[in-house]
Amino acid sequence: MPAASAIKVMVVDDQTSMRAMIRRTLQDLGFRDVRDKASATEALDDVRANRVHLIISDYNMPEMDGLQFLQEVRKDSVIGKTVFIMLTASAEKEIVQKAAEMGVNNYVVKPFTPAALKEKIERVFGALS
Amino acid sequence: MRRVSIIQGEHRVIAEPEVMLTTVLGSCVAVCLHDSVARLGGMNHFLLGEPTAGHDVRPEEMQRYGVHAMELLINAMMQAGAKRERLCGHLYGGANIVAGLGAIGSSNAEFARRFMQTEGLEVRHCDLGGTSARKVEFLPFDGKVRSIKVTDAPLEQRPQRIATNDVELF
Repeated sequence: MPAASAIKVMVVDDQTSMRAMIRRTLQDLGFRDVRDKASATEALDDVRANRVHLIISDYNMPEMDGLQFLQEVRKDSVIGKTVFIMLTASAEKEIVQKAAEMGVNNYVVKPFTPAALKEKIERVFGALS
Repeated sequence: MRRVSIIQGEHRVIAEPEVMLTTVLGSCVAVCLHDSVARLGGMNHFLLGEPTAGHDVRPEEMQRYGVHAMELLINAMMQAGAKRERLCGHLYGGANIVAGLGAIGSSNAEFARRFMQTEGLEVRHCDLGGTSARKVEFLPFDGKVRSIKVTDAPLEQRPQRIATNDVELF
């Protein structure tokens, strides 16, 4: 059973309020090492320099969107296998399918509850302690 | 003039003239966003600011929170052609109408102010708080808004059912 406190997380969302809410939710779930960035470009630089186990990224972002970000992560030889969970503001089936084809580990539709986020993370990591 | 009514939990973006977005508010807050270059605007209507720590919220209730309502509205504005840096907002509602319900209205109003400040969005006009219901009328193409205090307003309309929209892939 993995300890949530041992999982390093990067949260990427262009909205400050949403990043703060996701961080609080993760901290309530026991995650201790949570970083966040407002853009995929900044997040890529950050996780390349200091690797994480889990990336939670919004889809709908200006400049580089969540799918492009996922693509950049997956083609990177160092961080390519990082667990990637996509957040979408609506369950646009085409986007979710495309993300699945590109190797996303799971996705969460906003608005989400803490329980829903926990469930999606546990589907990848197993039950968290 | 075509009138489009927004109820709790909804948002709408319009980019055409001769259309009015309208809603009736008590303790809820409506945010009207406008992009004067793209000539489009949008309005939402939310019940509460954001879930408090330890508050066990059902999935269908989350859509009524401002933190999500604002994201949906901003996303819809940008998809329609608005630029985030050009957005300016008008905030309405957040009244404390029913004694004994605490200060839900004040808390909603505070959330709306804080959200705009945190996200760096310009606030053009605020009509928040007080003890009266409001009717808000917004011309999204022109960016003109007015709010009318009403003493005999109908109760805020609540959605019959909020659809969940999940896709099972995993």
